[in-house]
Amino acid sequence: MRRVLLAALCVAGFATTAHAQRPDLSGNWIANGGKTTFGQWHLTEEGERRFKAYDFKRDDPALKCIGTSWTRVWLNPNVVVRITQGGDFVRLQYEWMDIDRRVPIVDPTLKNPKRSNIPGMPGLGYSAAWYDGNALVIETSDIEPGYVSTMQEWAGLPQSRMMRTIERFTRTGDLLTIQITHVDPANYRDPLVVTITYPRTTFELMDYGCNPEDASVVEPR
Amino acid sequence: MDATRKMPRWLSLVSLLAFATPVAAHHSVPVNFDQSKDITVTGTLTEIKWINPHSRFRLDVKQDDGTTVEWLVEMGAINTMKRAGFDTDKFMVGDTLTIIGWPGRGRDRSMLLRTAVLKDGTRLTP
Repeated sequence: MRRVLLAALCVAGFATTAHAQRPDLSGNWIANGGKTTFGQWHLTEEGERRFKAYDFKRDDPALKCIGTSWTRVWLNPNVVVRITQGGDFVRLQYEWMDIDRRVPIVDPTLKNPKRSNIPGMPGLGYSAAWYDGNALVIETSDIEPGYVSTMQEWAGLPQSRMMRTIERFTRTGDLLTIQITHVDPANYRDPLVVTITYPRTTFELMDYGCNPEDASVVEPR
Repeated sequence: MDATRKMPRWLSLVSLLAFATPVAAHHSVPVNFDQSKDITVTGTLTEIKWINPHSRFRLDVKQDDGTTVEWLVEMGAINTMKRAGFDTDKFMVGDTLTIIGWPGRGRDRSMLLRTAVLKDGTRLTP
């Protein structure tokens, strides 16, 4: 009986410790536009070809109100992201394009963990999440070919079907840091690492209501 | 207590200062606009669209030869502009307006608004 009690206490103690380590990321966050670090990228020949062929007037999926990669979603400045942490899920509500991402918390050692996707946005793939010490990790695969970024000098950096991303969320005080590692051997010789910071905000999430007709490149008449 | 209310005042200020950076981000600013020079265009407001991801004006601009051409003026998302306190009520179709901003790349008669100057001289910056 004593052994059973001891084992139960150990399990309870482990569960408490594991829970205590879980970072508190819940709340509203906003990109401040100034703290994005794009690591060096080393493109393969195919990656170079696709990067050079990118045409911002034609190839940006956002022109149809579609997010092309999680990095592109995170790069959008001045929009709120609300994070809610549940026992078996983490929910990220992005103001940009009204993306509502509910990712299951899984055991990452499982062969085929449960995953979630965003209907209508195949470039955002299928995601699963877990906690690793003081970090939340979201791993995404089964990504439709497209672009890592459609912004700034990174516009047109490609992603293939082989792309796999690992988002690692850590919090220091009122600053959320998202480090995104991109592994895509078809386009990159080594992983591309992008780091984006989001300060905490009192701003509330607003509806975005993107309409493809308004989002496309408009010309003067 | 709502956790977001615990944010220190300085952080609110940092968040607001973020709006000092160009707010039109859906069509990446450096990709779509030439930030190396400002241009100034004055005309009559013919269309106002307060929308996401980009608000926009259309402006009829009289040229030196007497003909009128249309200019397209892009801005940031309406959500962002509302948060920044940009006073959208100040603009009415038919108003004369001066826009200072960056010219579009590869798109004639288009620009990104940096400052709007109303007829009474009021300057508004998103």
